Amino acid sequence: MTKEEIMAIYPKIAQIIADALPCEIERVKLESSLIDDLGAQSIDFLDIVFRLERGFKVKIPRGKIIEEARGDLPESEFDQNGLVSEAGLARLKTFLSEVPTDRFVTPLRVADIPRLFTTETFCKMVLRQQRAATAPLRTSTGMSSGAVSPTP
Amino acid sequence: MSEHFRAFSFVDRITAVQKGSRIQGRYLIPPGLKDFPSSLAAEAVGQLAAWAAMEATDFENRPVAGLAGRIDLLAAARPGQVLEIAADIESLDAEAVVYRGHAKIDGRLVVQLEDCVGPMIPVADLDEPAALRERFAVLCGPGAVPEGFRGLPPLSLRRTDGENGQCTQATFEVPAEAALFEDHFPRRPVFPGSLLMQLTLELAASLATEISPPMRRRWRPRTILDMKLREFIPPGKSLELEVRLKQRTNESVMLAVGSRAGKDMVGSARLLLAPENDL
Repeated sequence: MTKEEIMAIYPKIAQIIADALPCEIERVKLESSLIDDLGAQSIDFLDIVFRLERGFKVKIPRGKIIEEARGDLPESEFDQNGLVSEAGLARLKTFLSEVPTDRFVTPLRVADIPRLFTTETFCKMVLRQQRAATAPLRTSTGMSSGAVSPTP
Repeated sequence: MSEHFRAFSFVDRITAVQKGSRIQGRYLIPPGLKDFPSSLAAEAVGQLAAWAAMEATDFENRPVAGLAGRIDLLAAARPGQVLEIAADIESLDAEAVVYRGHAKIDGRLVVQLEDCVGPMIPVADLDEPAALRERFAVLCGPGAVPEGFRGLPPLSLRRTDGENGQCTQATFEVPAEAALFEDHFPRRPVFPGSLLMQLTLELAASLATEISPPMRRRWRPRTILDMKLREFIPPGKSLELEVRLKQRTNESVMLAVGSRAGKDMVGSARLLLAPENDL
């Protein structure tokens, strides 16, 4: 995806992040780490993802960023006793190319991966989900609509 | 007698359930109570959604209060009335449940919840999974013995500071011991987010009396927006609450509300007030 595509959705995503945290929108730079620079907590990530889903009419499965970063690397080869393996770290650096390399501390705990996420990470995630949604072989993720059955 | 499923439980029958998708139930507000705050009607909807989420995960995970995009406070609920409650699960996974729901009395909406997100955590961290499974079967079958809830413990705010009509601050000491902690939750007592919401509404109501209303009517809480609970509040915690005027028109007042434990923000929301006659 191009820088132009990212910059096109950045203002809306910055507003969503600013509303969720909440903070002044001027603080939400493209390169801001949501945790280290903006003080986001885990509940804020749920909030941001929920607002992005509503705001961009896309479905973002929880844990999507890490899952996509891992790619076809088996989980056991990515996560070794709670630490990101060397191969996993290489995948992360490629996938999260917007994150400055000095932020990839080693050893990196899997639980600390969200510390790397920046505003741009969420821009890229939305763009990927928008593309997936318009792909010809998309899978429905809607809820079922069967009748409500009474309990005994 | 154990307070589990009594001291802070607001579903006494599940009348219909579509696994992981929709659930309906009811709750008889014990006739002997003095009152029944609207925050508890909202709690009943959240608890019903939690039952649906727990059943869908085979009682491995349960949601806790996290986010509520919108809670409309539409009518009062009174002791002796029956809440008809329903929740629709919009999505559910290992991390969160997204739902909406409502409570009605005699077909009239009392509270309506939209865009609620509950973070999922292991059931066993909070409660006994087997006991919950057994309780769910009772609720889906004959129903629980009603009237287990005997009212809230004294929860009093102490106003500390403020600026007339602009903001008000108060402190609140979470009780160190209370029957509700045996129910919410047996393995990890947590002060319920709905009660924090109730305290915030009370503080907002006191600020509202300082804001001149149009046509000599009173301001009343109408809608809670973007409510967020950031962390568990244990028994005995000291909280500081603040309500601040953000915007006022002839038709409405918008307040920002927040609660802190020391430096940490534990809860926040916006609160829309409307003239009493418009409710």
